[in-house]
Amino acid sequence: MVVLSAARWVRSRLSDRFWRVQEVLKYARHFRGRKNRCYRLAVRSVRRAFVRSTKARREKKRSLRALWITRIEAASLEHGLKYPAFISNLVKSQVELNRKVLADLAIYEPKTFKSLAALAQRRRQEGFLAALGDGKEPEGIFSRIVHQHY
Amino acid sequence: VAKTSLTSPPWPEVKLPDPVEEAKYHAEVVRKVNGLISAGEYGRLFAVVHFASKQWKITSEDLIMMDNVLEAECGDRIRMEKVLLVGADDFTLVGRPLLGKELVRVEATVIEKTESWPKINMRFWRRHSFQRKKIIANPQTVLRINTIEIYPRLS
Repeated sequence: MVVLSAARWVRSRLSDRFWRVQEVLKYARHFRGRKNRCYRLAVRSVRRAFVRSTKARREKKRSLRALWITRIEAASLEHGLKYPAFISNLVKSQVELNRKVLADLAIYEPKTFKSLAALAQRRRQEGFLAALGDGKEPEGIFSRIVHQHY
Repeated sequence: VAKTSLTSPPWPEVKLPDPVEEAKYHAEVVRKVNGLISAGEYGRLFAVVHFASKQWKITSEDLIMMDNVLEAECGDRIRMEKVLLVGADDFTLVGRPLLGKELVRVEATVIEKTESWPKINMRFWRRHSFQRKKIIANPQTVLRINTIEIYPRLS
């Protein structure tokens, strides 16, 4: 006789359940407690670990930049300059070094960092002098003190 | 006129050194540094190079790994042209923003072109039956910095 459909008592059953479970447990082997052994608990922990690692990859850039800024601030304070003054004057002197490299120079090349701080300090003083101008009062304005005669 | 809070600026008064004396001092420094470079009396040189949209602080015999593809075969020699800073023990040359190509020469060789370790990107939104998992392997290139040379052409 011709049988066109499988008999009802034949079900398809998993044969590689062990390897599917190991795929998840291998990422949980260094966890603490029962979540490194039991699949049900491990699935939840591994999922949270993956999500946290994706979010941390975006946060890492921000926290590294904050670390560099802290280090540059500490190094420039050793040379008598504050961080905003240092960075703004370096940029105005057309020195385009980024914070990562400045932090590395502050750690490993102290003499170079000192020369950069001196450059920023000199540019800052030139900026102050330029802001003061000539010292003359603008035309058409008389002096501040106005004598009132009653 | 009486002194108010606005008579003098909030910063301490600044006096710049004499421009003539300063010019003499600058010329002397440039002469000394030129002499040092031409005599070859520097030790190891380090350079800050802008490459692959990142800045690297490199020396000779350094290994660098970039997170992208380079259109050069393994074993090709590459010259890095955007040099921001070059320094030795006694002097530094700071570019504004770049140093000239006739002043510095940085050479590197491409060693390896591989993929990164498989990074897992997962998004999960609880109580919404939403989870997506993606495995990413970026291409990476490894370069070895061979030499950094400077030529005494300061002015």
